Amino acid sequence: MPDAIVARALAKRYGRIDALADLTLRVERGECLGFLGPNGAGKSTAVKILVGLVRATGGDAQLLGRPVGDRRTRARIGYLPELFRYPDWLAAHEVLGFHAKLMRLSDADLAIDLVLDEVGLRERARDRVGTYSKGMQQRLGLAVALLGEPEIVFLDEPTSALDPVGRSDVRALIERLRARNTTVFLNSHLLGEVERVCDRVCVVDRGRVVAEGTVDALTGETRGVRVRADDGWHDYDVAHAEIPGLVARLVADGVRIHAVEPKQTTLEERFLALVRHA
Amino acid sequence: MTVLLFAGLTLRELARRRLVAAVAVLTLAIVAFTAWGLHRLATAVVDGAPIADPGKHAAAAGIVIVLAFLFSFVLALGAALVGAPAMGESIANGEILAVLARPVRRADVALGRWLGTVVALAIYVAVAGGIELLVVRVTTGYVPPSPLAALAYLCALGAVVTTAAVALAARLPALAAGIVSALLFGLAWIGGIIESIGLALGNQRLADAGTVVALIFPSDALWRGALYALQPAVFSAVAANANASGSVNPFTVTSPPPPAMLAWACGWTVAVLVAGIAAFRTRDL
Repeated sequence: MPDAIVARALAKRYGRIDALADLTLRVERGECLGFLGPNGAGKSTAVKILVGLVRATGGDAQLLGRPVGDRRTRARIGYLPELFRYPDWLAAHEVLGFHAKLMRLSDADLAIDLVLDEVGLRERARDRVGTYSKGMQQRLGLAVALLGEPEIVFLDEPTSALDPVGRSDVRALIERLRARNTTVFLNSHLLGEVERVCDRVCVVDRGRVVAEGTVDALTGETRGVRVRADDGWHDYDVAHAEIPGLVARLVADGVRIHAVEPKQTTLEERFLALVRHA
Repeated sequence: MTVLLFAGLTLRELARRRLVAAVAVLTLAIVAFTAWGLHRLATAVVDGAPIADPGKHAAAAGIVIVLAFLFSFVLALGAALVGAPAMGESIANGEILAVLARPVRRADVALGRWLGTVVALAIYVAVAGGIELLVVRVTTGYVPPSPLAALAYLCALGAVVTTAAVALAARLPALAAGIVSALLFGLAWIGGIIESIGLALGNQRLADAGTVVALIFPSDALWRGALYALQPAVFSAVAANANASGSVNPFTVTSPPPPAMLAWACGWTVAVLVAGIAAFRTRDL
């Protein structure tokens, strides 16, 4: 079975500006890839190339073993654009009904009910989109992206308009997608979110990939340990293997230890180091 | 199938956004006003006697032509200001992004938007024009020589302006596409007058300039077709005599547009639509 997403030396040039340069990546089926980068790094351009909205000026890419832009493959993917907008004069169920017709879904009503439940919009499905808050419109966007149980879902900043509850809901949603073996391509600025739900991370800056790997591989460097004693937290710069010895020594010195935490690089720290270094 | 989906979406949008209601109210106001005026004309007494039928019909024919000109103008503006946003607004505001990620051909989107706008305009022409002609008949007893042909020409005029609006909106912002399309319609009308003046004065250069404008944007040829279908034979004869003496009236014509010009208008519509679709297909969104 071919990989979900394969991109080789993918590039997009607007005049003299490289929006994307030499993007090479592979996403396996059922994998959740976090696609990170600062503003203008080329993240949305990459997503738009992959879903067939923008034509690459270099390289090539495939979705589910077929070239990007292939019409039949597009029936098997879902996409939430960063700039999500739906006709404000239609009700949510009409928007979904229109997309169901475009996809030629056989049991459209059932599929629509399923995604409305998935994103928590069932109660307001008959209301016009124009009466929705931005967060509700983003939920509708997610419902559109999930319609028809796509094999790959591209989510471009899926929580940008959501409150903390909504963000938590989206994380749970992504977990459910992973459980169903749906491939998720998550483009997000919220590094904590990516850290929690993604199997792998790809960091791009100025159109180029600057790091790629599992979240653990990017963040897992042990750099020392934090120890909480009666008078608060203390940092010790020791190797991982030296932690038991450090604790024994502190106890022997009469220090009352309440907690010991190995220090790890967070994804945010790693991301900032990569982007600032680049 | 997908083309019809987008055409239906365009029609539903027009209905939901209350454009249809607003246009219907204003059109009915115009119809009511003209009905009142025509009734006054039909029942007017001149020198102690009612106006004879030939005089009444000549006056009614003149009013019908002026009304048709008004409708052609409303139609052209409607085509420009409905066709361009139908195509361009969803591109500008991002609505199109999730749609085009579906198994949809961009050509289907453009054709659907074009078809929806043209159908809306055709319904408007048929209903508003039909009611207006009925009012003229009931109040004055006058029936133009070829009312159905006139309505068909007006529909074609709307289709030409819509084609320009949709094709331009595939690349330009909707507002710019709408304004440019409306200006092209105005330019074509002026081109038609220049051509008439050139022919009346025997100035070939002027006539050729008008012809070139008509080839670039063939809406005026269709307006002239509508005009010819509406004017009684006596108007054509008067126009021919006036031309012979070097005077021009933009509201009369001496002959219908030649078949070659109608064929050109059809070919032009197809070519511009294809060019618009090609521009849309290669556009990065």
